[in-house]
Amino acid sequence: MTDVIEFRNVSKSYHNHAVIKNFNLKIQADSFSVILGAPGSGKSVLLRILTGLEKPNIGEIYLRGVPAESLSPGERNIGYIPQSFALYPHYKIYDNIAYPLALSGASKKEIDQVVQRTAEMLRITKLLNKTPDQLSGGEKQRVAIARGIAKQTDIFVFDDPLTGLDFKLREQLFDDLKNLQDTLKATFVYISSDALEALILARQIGILYDGTCVESGDLVSVYNTPSNSHTMEMLGFPKSNVVPGKLMKKDGKDFCQTDIFSFPVRLDQPATDTVSVGFRPQNVILNAPAGQALLSASAKILLKEDLGGELVVHLSIGDHKITSVVRQDHLGDLGEESTKIGLDPSNALVFESTSGRRIGQGA
Amino acid sequence: MGKKISQALYHALLWLIAVIFFLPVFWIILASFKTKDQLLDVPIHWFFEPTLANYVDLFQRPNIANYLLNSVLISVLAVVIAIVVAFLAAYSFSRFKPGGTDLVMFLLLSVRMVPAAASVIPIFLMYSTLGWKDTMPGMILFYAMFSIPFSLWILKGFVDGVSERFDETGLINGASRFHVVFNVILPQVRPGLIAAFIFNMVFVWNEFLFNYLIGGKHTTMVPVALVTWMFNNSGVDWTFVATMTTVYMIPPILVVYFFQKFLLAGMTFGTVRGEI
Repeated sequence: MTDVIEFRNVSKSYHNHAVIKNFNLKIQADSFSVILGAPGSGKSVLLRILTGLEKPNIGEIYLRGVPAESLSPGERNIGYIPQSFALYPHYKIYDNIAYPLALSGASKKEIDQVVQRTAEMLRITKLLNKTPDQLSGGEKQRVAIARGIAKQTDIFVFDDPLTGLDFKLREQLFDDLKNLQDTLKATFVYISSDALEALILARQIGILYDGTCVESGDLVSVYNTPSNSHTMEMLGFPKSNVVPGKLMKKDGKDFCQTDIFSFPVRLDQPATDTVSVGFRPQNVILNAPAGQALLSASAKILLKEDLGGELVVHLSIGDHKITSVVRQDHLGDLGEESTKIGLDPSNALVFESTSGRRIGQGA
Repeated sequence: MGKKISQALYHALLWLIAVIFFLPVFWIILASFKTKDQLLDVPIHWFFEPTLANYVDLFQRPNIANYLLNSVLISVLAVVIAIVVAFLAAYSFSRFKPGGTDLVMFLLLSVRMVPAAASVIPIFLMYSTLGWKDTMPGMILFYAMFSIPFSLWILKGFVDGVSERFDETGLINGASRFHVVFNVILPQVRPGLIAAFIFNMVFVWNEFLFNYLIGGKHTTMVPVALVTWMFNNSGVDWTFVATMTTVYMIPPILVVYFFQKFLLAGMTFGTVRGEI
């Protein structure tokens, strides 16, 4: 696959405050790529650099294989869906959607075809003659998406467009967006601060932490084998469990000691002794049966959240808070106050504390 | 029941205050239809046989048409220039935030904090030296200069209220900055433009001091004419004053009446605008 967008060593600072630091990311053509970052991690700045609204201090953007430095935002030919809708209140919905086409000088007939087709895709045909102030939040978002994708191009950028919508609406729009991407066969770059959203939408993912891309790649492999502790923490729902630990030698073998368990590790690379150990709530077994090759510990039950098919259980072991997700039908007889948790050691990933990189896993 | 009575009382009070404020205006309008004797009689004649003689006299005076035309031309052109400049400046200050924006905004407004009498002499000297006294462009530019600061303040509030995402959406879709300013932002700040227009229009329309000092017979506006004509051999010509004033206040009253909702929006400096 060819890379349609590439960030090369991009840095950007405002008033001596570095927001984007040596950011590198390649985005494949026709992929649904999500850039996941916490609020304030520089996501919007990244988008502004990609669309050409801001220039990076250092580094380059390549668009469709060509340096984009000298291209104005308009010349970059990117479809844009802003976070805050930004529908023009003085235009009807029809004209809002037609806006990018009208600017590019398309004929009336052409515009009408695209607007009608786009409106159909997003099920807003009956809104075309209304004005933005007559629309609900979800409808406005649909129109903003329609305006973005009405542009005849191969790259579309979504700036966290579903924040502030209620969950049911977001679910519908998730489906719409995935279908759209299938239909349009274009590159979707979607900026998000919500792990669940990223997991639902992304085929490719980039993790933005503190202005750098700490990891990127195929969603499934990034999720399963995160190479960075920030990825582990950010990409997952509920949030992953992370406990501090120490590496040591025991009988010539590598061991990892934490407040909860200690276990032998298989190290992939040399590292300093101070580590953190991450494991996903989905891998924490409750009522762990004795005698299996599981790491186990006794935990206090703090809170149970019933999600219908699943139960999220918040536990404490000493000073550490642990979360577990179990399917109701796998639950068995869970006590009220305490339980025994179990973890397959291969699900415990070991990261070097200072650099955050993954150095090994439980064996 | 008690609530209804208190509301009725409240409304009656509002009406009473409104009427008290309107009384001087009403007196002027009535007076313009009276004879000199009726006008000066005590107590006031509320019922009398109206006469149009004062209006006939007014419109027979030499140059009256010129003075009215001057008033319209000078105030409309000055305020239009001011609003074009102020709108572009407001956009620039709001979007590009050049260093010292706040200070510049304050300094601009301070022009209006100085009492007019204090700036009369420097401006008089300046206009004498430049030879701009009693010229239409000179008069129009002066009032434009005086109208810019307040217009800028109103319009910056409005432009600030329009999210920058609108600009960005336009730019990314290939619009020029020019298109963004005039086709995207301008339609959204129209209430601000109208409010700024009315506020400054009313100010220029009624301005006396500078028109008297740096104007002349080619640029005389109605307020100056009013003062020069109000004294005749037998003292103040009250019927003339009443008639001239009545005619002169019709345009601003109509404008304010038809655009009053924008005037209110203008007074809140656009801060009530939400994002769509």
